[in-house]
Parts: sequence; C-alpha cells; structure tokens
Amino acid sequence: MRRVPWLLAIPAVVLMLGLRFVPAIFSGGYAFTDWNGLSLDANPVGFDNFVSIFTSEITRNAVFHTLLFALFLLVFANVFGLGLAMLLHRGLKSRNFLRAVFFLPFALSHLATGYVWQYIFSYTGAFNQFLGAVGLTSWQKTWLADPDWSFYTIVVVLVWQYTGVAMIIYLAGLEGISEELDDAVAVDGASWWLKFRRVTLPLLAPSVTIASTLTLIYGLGAFDQVIALTGGGPVGATETLATLVVKNTFTFGQFGYGSALALLLATIVAVLSITQTSILRWWENRQ
Amino acid sequence: MASITLANVGKIYRGGNRAVEDLSLDIADGEFMVFVGPSGCGKTTALRMVAGLEDISEGTISIGDRVVNEVDPGKRDIAMVFQNYALYPHMSIFENMAFPLRARRVPKAEVRDKVERTAKLLGLTEFLPRKPRTLSGGQRQRVAMGRAIVREPQAFLMDEPLSNLDAKLRVQMRSEISNLQAELGVTTIYVTHDQVEAMTMGSRIAVMRKGVLQQQGDPQHVYERPVNMFVAAFIGSPGMNFFQACLRSDATGYSLELPGQTVPLPDDVVRERPALAGYVDRDLAVGLRPEHLTVASTGGPTMAGRVIRSEMLGAERLVHVSIEARPVLTDEVVEAAADVDPTTVAALADDSDERQVTLIVRASPSAHVESGAALQVGIVAPQLHFFDLESGDGIVA
Amino acid sequence: MKNRYTWRTFSREFIALILAAITLIPLYLLLVVALKPSKDLFTSAAVPPIPPQWGNFATAWENAGEGGLGNAMLSSAIITLGSVAFLVVLGSLCSWVLARRPGRLSNSLYILFLLGIILPFQLSIIPLYVGLRALGLVGTYAGMILLWTGVMMPLAVFLYTGFVRQLPPDYEEAARMDGAGTFRVFLRVVFPLLRPITGTVAILTGLFIWNDFFASLIFLSGTDHQTLPVAIYSFVGEYVTQWNFVFAAVVIALVPIVAFFIVAQRQMIRGFAGGIRG
Repeated sequence: MRRVPWLLAIPAVVLMLGLRFVPAIFSGGYAFTDWNGLSLDANPVGFDNFVSIFTSEITRNAVFHTLLFALFLLVFANVFGLGLAMLLHRGLKSRNFLRAVFFLPFALSHLATGYVWQYIFSYTGAFNQFLGAVGLTSWQKTWLADPDWSFYTIVVVLVWQYTGVAMIIYLAGLEGISEELDDAVAVDGASWWLKFRRVTLPLLAPSVTIASTLTLIYGLGAFDQVIALTGGGPVGATETLATLVVKNTFTFGQFGYGSALALLLATIVAVLSITQTSILRWWENRQ
Repeated sequence: MASITLANVGKIYRGGNRAVEDLSLDIADGEFMVFVGPSGCGKTTALRMVAGLEDISEGTISIGDRVVNEVDPGKRDIAMVFQNYALYPHMSIFENMAFPLRARRVPKAEVRDKVERTAKLLGLTEFLPRKPRTLSGGQRQRVAMGRAIVREPQAFLMDEPLSNLDAKLRVQMRSEISNLQAELGVTTIYVTHDQVEAMTMGSRIAVMRKGVLQQQGDPQHVYERPVNMFVAAFIGSPGMNFFQACLRSDATGYSLELPGQTVPLPDDVVRERPALAGYVDRDLAVGLRPEHLTVASTGGPTMAGRVIRSEMLGAERLVHVSIEARPVLTDEVVEAAADVDPTTVAALADDSDERQVTLIVRASPSAHVESGAALQVGIVAPQLHFFDLESGDGIVA
Repeated sequence: MKNRYTWRTFSREFIALILAAITLIPLYLLLVVALKPSKDLFTSAAVPPIPPQWGNFATAWENAGEGGLGNAMLSSAIITLGSVAFLVVLGSLCSWVLARRPGRLSNSLYILFLLGIILPFQLSIIPLYVGLRALGLVGTYAGMILLWTGVMMPLAVFLYTGFVRQLPPDYEEAARMDGAGTFRVFLRVVFPLLRPITGTVAILTGLFIWNDFFASLIFLSGTDHQTLPVAIYSFVGEYVTQWNFVFAAVVIALVPIVAFFIVAQRQMIRGFAGGIRG
C-alpha cells in the first residue's frame, strides 16, 4: 500500500523553520552588532549591547518590571483562578454562564480593553469618580502618572485579563476528580482544609503546572496592556522588555540593540519557564 | 457497633422523581443486611441516605440511639466501601488507610498501629508503600475495605463493592467479606443487584423495587415464601417458572386448567392456602421453582410437555420443557428477568403469541432425557406458588 | 446523584454572580461612555447618557484607522481567516505525515515543532521584519498571512499530531483498498475525521491572530491593511482623551469577537482547556 508522502509535510516544515527558527538565529546574530536596520554595514560589537542594557537605568528597570509583572500575574491569576474554579465547581446553576463571563476578558483584544482600563484609572476617570462618590476622596490619586501606582494598575489589568484562563484550567482539573472521591472524603470526615491540602491540591498538580507556565509566559510578554495604560511611562516606570524591543528597534532604529533586548527577553522566558515547569513537574510526581 | 433504624424513609428529587418510598427497617447490631433489587430500585439511594451523602426527604434514620438526619457523613461514625473503591490515587496504600484517622486527629503512633494491624488482617502489609494504580482490582477492593475497617466505625456501608471484579474473584471476595464481617461483628448494610450475593452473604435481605420495599427477612425464608411475583422472580437462579392457569373446582377436588390439559391439585394445597378458594373459575399465575419440578414421576400431579433441550452443568442438568400454557408477562416478571439477563426479555415477548411456556426443570445428570421426546413433568405440589395476575401478590393465607 | 442545593450552594452562586458582575464593570463602562456626549465624560462615568449619542459610532467608524474601521475589520478578517486556512490545511497534512510515517525523522521533526512552540515569539520579530521587508511584503496581506502561518505552525502541528496519532488507520486503509489515491484519502477520509481538533486549532490560533497587536503594530501601522487593534491604537493617538469616540471605536472593534464568543464560547473554552492540556 502506498505510504503517505513526505512531500505533504514540507510546506509546514519549511514555513515553521523559515519563520520561527531562522529569524531566531538571525536575531541572535543582530544582537551582537550595531546595525541600524538600514545601512548595509553592521559592525560586530561583542557584548556592548548587553552591557548597555544593564548600565542604562531605563533598560535595567525594564528587566525588573518584566520579571515583577510576571511574578504578580503568576501569583494572583493562579490564586484567584483556583479560587474561582472551586467556587464554580459542582452544583451551580449558572455555571456555564459564569465560566463564559470570567473567560471573556481573555478573549477580547487586550489592547482595546486595556484602553478601557486607562479610562477607568485616569485622574478624571471612573475609579476616582467612584472613590469620590463613596466619600473616599483622600484616596484619589493620579494612578497612571504615579511611578508606583501605575505599575499596580497594569497588574490589575493583567489579572483581570488572565485569571479566566487559569480558572478554566483549574475547572477542567477539578472535573477530573471523580464524584466518588468526593463522597469518600465526606465519609472519611475530612475538614475542608484537610481535603484541600491533601486531596484536591495534589490531584490538581498537573493543572497547576499548566496554568503557572501559561501565566508566567503571558506575564513576561506583557505588551498590549503596558501600551494601552501608560505607554511605558511615567518616565519608564512601567517599561518592559517587550515594549523596549519595539521602541528601540522601530522608533529609534537601533536594530542591533533591539535584538539584544529581544534575545534577553527570550532567554528569560526560556530559562524561567523551563525552570518553573521542571520544579512543578517534580512536585507533581511527588504527589 | 450499633443498630440502624430506618423509619418511613423517603427520597424525592426535584422534579418529583421518587427514589425511595416509605422504607422502614430495623437492622440489629452486628447484622449483615443486604439491600437487593434491580437497577433504579432505590437501594443505593437508601444506602447513601444512611451515609449522609443524600438528603433525607421524609422519615428518620437512626444510628444507635441517635437520629442522624442532620448529621454530616463524617460525623455519623460510619464507613463506606464504594463501587469503584474511591481510593486516593496520589496517596500510598498506607496513606489511604490512614486518611480517615488523620482526619480525626488520631495521634501518629496510634495511626500507624491501627493501619498496620488492619493491613495484616487483610493481607495488605506488603502493599502499604505502593500506590493504588499498581494494585489489581481485588487488592484495591481490600484496601477500600481496610480504609473502612481501620476506623472501627459503628457500621459498614457497602455499595456494590464486588461488581467490578471478575466472576471468580467475586466468589472469593464474597466469602472473605462475609468472614470478615462475622469476625468483626460490625453492623453492615450491603447493596447489590446480584441476588446470588444477597442470598449467600446476608443474614437478612431486603428486596426493593421502584423505591418500595417488597419483602425483607431471612434469605431462605424470602426464597421459600416470596410475598409477590417480583420477589419470586427476582430471587433464585435459574428463576422461578411461571405460567397462567384457571383454577377449577368440582366434585373430585381442585385442579388447574391449562389449554391442553387439566392438572389435579391435592387437597392440601388449597387447605394450606385458604385464600385460593376465592379464585375458583379465575385465572391466576402459577409459580414453580426448577427444583420443584421433576423429570420422573414422584407420585404427585404431572403435566404433559415436550423436551426442548438439556443443559449439562456438571453437578446437575437443566431440562427445558415446553408445555401448552399461557405465559405470565406482567411487569414484575419482565423486569426481574431483564435484570438477570436482558436477552430473555425478547424471548418472553416471543412466547406471548403462542400458548407455550418453557419450564426449566432441575434434574440429575444421569437422568434419561431425550430432546424432542414427550415428558410428564412431575410437580412437587406443596411447593406450588400462586399469584394474583393483576396485583402480583402471593395468594397465601 | 447528589441534590444538595443547600444554603451553602446558594451563597456560592451568589458570590460568584457578584464577582461576575464586577468583572463585567469595565465592559459596562465601555458601552456607557461610548454613548456619551463629550461634555459628560469626566463627570458621571457610570450613568448612562440620555439621550445616547449613537452618532459617536459613525464618527468612530469613519475615522479610526486608515480607511475607517470597516477597512480594519476587513483586514483583520482576511488575515485571520487566511492564516487559519493555511494553518489548518498545511498543519493537518504535515501531522498526517508525521503520525503515519513513524521513525527517527518523524520524531525529530515533532520535537522540532515542540521547540518551535516554546521559542519565544519576541525573539524572531526583528529578523522577520527585516526579511519581509526585503521581500517587499511589509504592510501586505500576503506578508502577514505568511508570517502567521509560519509562526503558529508549531502549535497547529502539535495539536493535530496528537490527535491523528490516536486515529485508527483502519479508515485510511479501507479507502486505499478501495483504490483511493493519497489526495482523496486525505480529503475524504482523514480530514473530515479531524473536525474536532480542527475546531480547536482554528479557535486557538484564530483568537491569537485576531487580537494580536505586537506583530500587527510592527508590520501594519500606518498602512491600509492595518488590523483592528492597530486601528484602535492610532485612533487613540489622534483622539486623545476623547474617550467617547475611542470607546465607540472599541465597541465596534469588539463586536465580532463578542458575537463569535456568544455563539462559540463552549467550544472555545473546551478547545482552549483541551488544547492547553496537550
């Protein structure tokens, strides 16, 4: 019988290699030059680009911001996501509706909804108006113009957008726990906390791994939300590696430097996600 | 160790579906009570109500002297063995058995002691560090039992624990569970749809159908004196033979009129069942167990029939004999037959057009029986059962 | 069958509904502000305007993005659907090969595809720009479709391969015995059987492509073929703080995805959870 010809796989392989791998390798190359994207010469500059990244305060801070956004998102999205999943699991009549509502923010353009949040947090926007209306005028702030608060507003938006993803992953995990097992726990007389700690959470270990990895990667790559809310400001207070890559490359024409930033970001993503996954898989197997 | 009392217990689901109706049972301390019946009869629901896994819509359930309607499952001091064992897959066998004790904050040393002793009792010591997925079905079943035993509860509740095991293992586990229960002396409610399990394991059985208790009592008693056609058909394998006949009375005495023949009945039969007298000239259902029919005459009444075939079962022979008679096809009979073997339902339907009933007769392997030959089937008259065709109730006293 | 709709269950449901309402507040504000006249923007945010300024939508429609929102929507549609189409066809074919021709080469390629998924997107973006620019494809539909097809291919192949591996080869063998050629076998037998996973692939990749801003900004900003997110971005740049118009544009831009979501949310969620689990 005729076998399936290799020919059919070639387009996909070529496209993937050509558009994912090859550029990545080139990027690695650009990172070590001073290319401006236009001229024909690009001089190798060794590690200069990387040294610049860490000597410049803006880029150094951007690295911190990238990591911190990811950390905050990881923690909050998973805690809230798990909490919501446990809230929705079993017996609620509007479960499907609720599930859809919590997932909706993820499905909508993160840039577009980001602008809604910019409005909400703007000085004359909905949040300050609300605070004023309940008598908390002293709490009103220039949320987006303050170096510290602007950071947290982005965290709020990130959590709003990605908690739904964590939630449905945990819901799927909870669904995998048979009802009979719930019955057994009830008859065994375990308290809610004991059940969570010794039964639910260990059985959710695979979901924890998946949700954590996803939220980490989303967090490290936060771009739309930063652009929509602060554009990276005030004065670089919310700049991330992703935003800097775009700015340096396409606004300032520094293709070499931009590639270095991209390479740094990619390295961070790869290292952290692999480390995290390994740790979580190890914990998973211990259960 | 305690008694369990169900008083007028009922369960109604939203939407009006009634799973259990007016169930009253007194289960004595140390008894092995079996709830048996076809799927959907309410036995599992009743068990779950005792466990606290279902709310009790009507009536009360008491464990010991305590009414437990509002008590959480974990606080009722009962332990449950589930159909699919419900072992915690990520915990070792030791942890599985220790879990209920840990939930009660039993000190570590005591936990270890109890688990190890229970493991020894069940032959599970070498499996303690392993995970459930590395064990066979039978071993997992024992672990599930171990988890129940280690708590030393007032009662065991078992929900069809053997139904996922293969036939041979089931037979072996049946006696293991019986012996264990006898040794530990813990009050046990055991749910099954397998009437063989019910008969062999229970000190008392409760037959249920569509949420209603049909009959309860000593297994042998229920076997010999079923109160209605359903119980008669459900208990016993192979099942009771049924056919319709018209009761006649004349100067010579009583007889059963069948399409091709008339079978005379000894006077004792009616004397011991006074209510029969009211059925003269009426159709009723006649029931006879295979062991109460013979292939050779024994001096009692006989029926003319023809041998269809014999099934040799080693220690005995089951002879299928065709007689001319109208079959009994009430719901009860069909349902009971279907639960044992769904394929017989079609056969029953086939029979309905003909005036032909196939009787199953127990005989010895050495009996001379020829397929296709005419045969006079002997009836052990004292063991005749009679049932009202409409209500299904036994015609007894 | 448990039937305990107790007070506990009810309070859970109640809390969940409250949280859901809170989650939807931004969307509520979006609608309300989109309909406000400019003077009311900074006073009472949450109060619906009377009368609603439907005209805001017309302004947004005409002015957002190069050639208006309609143009942007068309671009998004063309790029998304085009990319998904190629991904589905080429990805399924490739997976079929990988699954049906097991061996060292297949396994190596499969691992390569896995690596492709892990490889962070941001790393490739600059050289991709350079490359597409050299080919004259920056700012074109063809260029974007090519980009997305390549970038999303690892995910598509990964999802498809897992599924095809579990498909019994019996159907294909039967078709071959009936004399069908390779092409027909795939078209008539294999591909229809792939419907469930095709749905997942289409949704996962389509959603990402439709909502993408990062790559679209780089390749399409200022062009006629900009997608909805880019159009919104430039509109915000022009109409700074005129939130009513901006939000009118956002509402329009979100309509397609919301409509799709309402219709396909079950499939979307299931596809996402299932695909991610793989």
